[in-house]
Amino acid sequence: MMSTLNKKLKAWPVWMLMGILVVALLAVGAGRQSGPLTQEDRIDNVTQRLACPTCDGESVYVSQAPSSQNIRNEVARQVASGQRTDDEIVAFIESSFGGQVLLVPRATGLDALIWVLPIAVLVCCTAGLALTFRRWKREQGGQASDADRALVAQLLELDTDPTDSL
Amino acid sequence: MTPPRRVQKTAPMVAGVVGLIAVALLVMLANASPSDGETASSPLLGRAAPAVQSTTLDGDSFDISRRRGSWVMLNFFNSTCVPCIQEHGALRDFVATQTTQADAVEFFTIINDDNDDAVRSFFKANGGDWPKVKDSDGAISVAFGVAKVPETWIIDPNGFVRMRVVGGVKQGFLEDRITELRQQFEGSSR
Repeated sequence: MMSTLNKKLKAWPVWMLMGILVVALLAVGAGRQSGPLTQEDRIDNVTQRLACPTCDGESVYVSQAPSSQNIRNEVARQVASGQRTDDEIVAFIESSFGGQVLLVPRATGLDALIWVLPIAVLVCCTAGLALTFRRWKREQGGQASDADRALVAQLLELDTDPTDSL
Repeated sequence: MTPPRRVQKTAPMVAGVVGLIAVALLVMLANASPSDGETASSPLLGRAAPAVQSTTLDGDSFDISRRRGSWVMLNFFNSTCVPCIQEHGALRDFVATQTTQADAVEFFTIINDDNDDAVRSFFKANGGDWPKVKDSDGAISVAFGVAKVPETWIIDPNGFVRMRVVGGVKQGFLEDRITELRQQFEGSSR
């Protein structure tokens, strides 16, 4: 009975199901709001989503560039006015600076390529490698070719016993 | 061990394709236009200019929506920025030419991350008798999506943004652009 259970546990669908469950729980936990946000929290959240227009890979939140400072001021003004949601504030900044001001590109339109392309390349490369390995295996069939045999024979002939010279 | 024949055939093809892509990228990079004095894209082009308000160094109010009826140029400026200093002569000449015309362009300096006294000193030393608009909190710069100075924006008499110029401008550049824009958009409502 124990061995049957072990077999079931070792079966891949069970592990896959557990993996999906873990990922789903992590996603729910990470996305869950823990309560009302203060204005400072909102400013931090929004500025962490915006890229500094004059630096490489820095968010407005961490950047000390004047342009980032200006954006932080604008975000603070809009949060204080309470008329826009965080998404609307990000969209407002994007409407002036363009899509490059978004630290995380949108998953719609042409920007979606940024998300899709790496996955597509990964899938294609993995499939290509799998097909190639399969073909090589099939071509060789696990049997030594004539060339292989000849090579082994040649090496065996050269391989002399070290005690011969004694 | 020698690789299979198929691999021997496909490897040069793959290397060739990768090489071609690399060369194409290099050509794109080499042909990329420099940023100085060039028109640039912006989500605001063709749209109504952001409704910005402020005051000038002289204490007058500035409201862009009240400038409708004439072409408006906004030059984002900082007195310590080298390209701003370099283009100043061209701007001065442009404004001087415009003042002699009936349908003169209204020209404004938008002070970007600079203190008022430094700007006053700069204009006293280098000339330039046009309004200098304060942007102490950066609201105007953010509304226009200005990241680096100098930048010059051109707004048509109907209040639509028609051109964004990034970097310093050379002598005659603005005259040529405004002539082109007048021909293209004069009388158009959008």
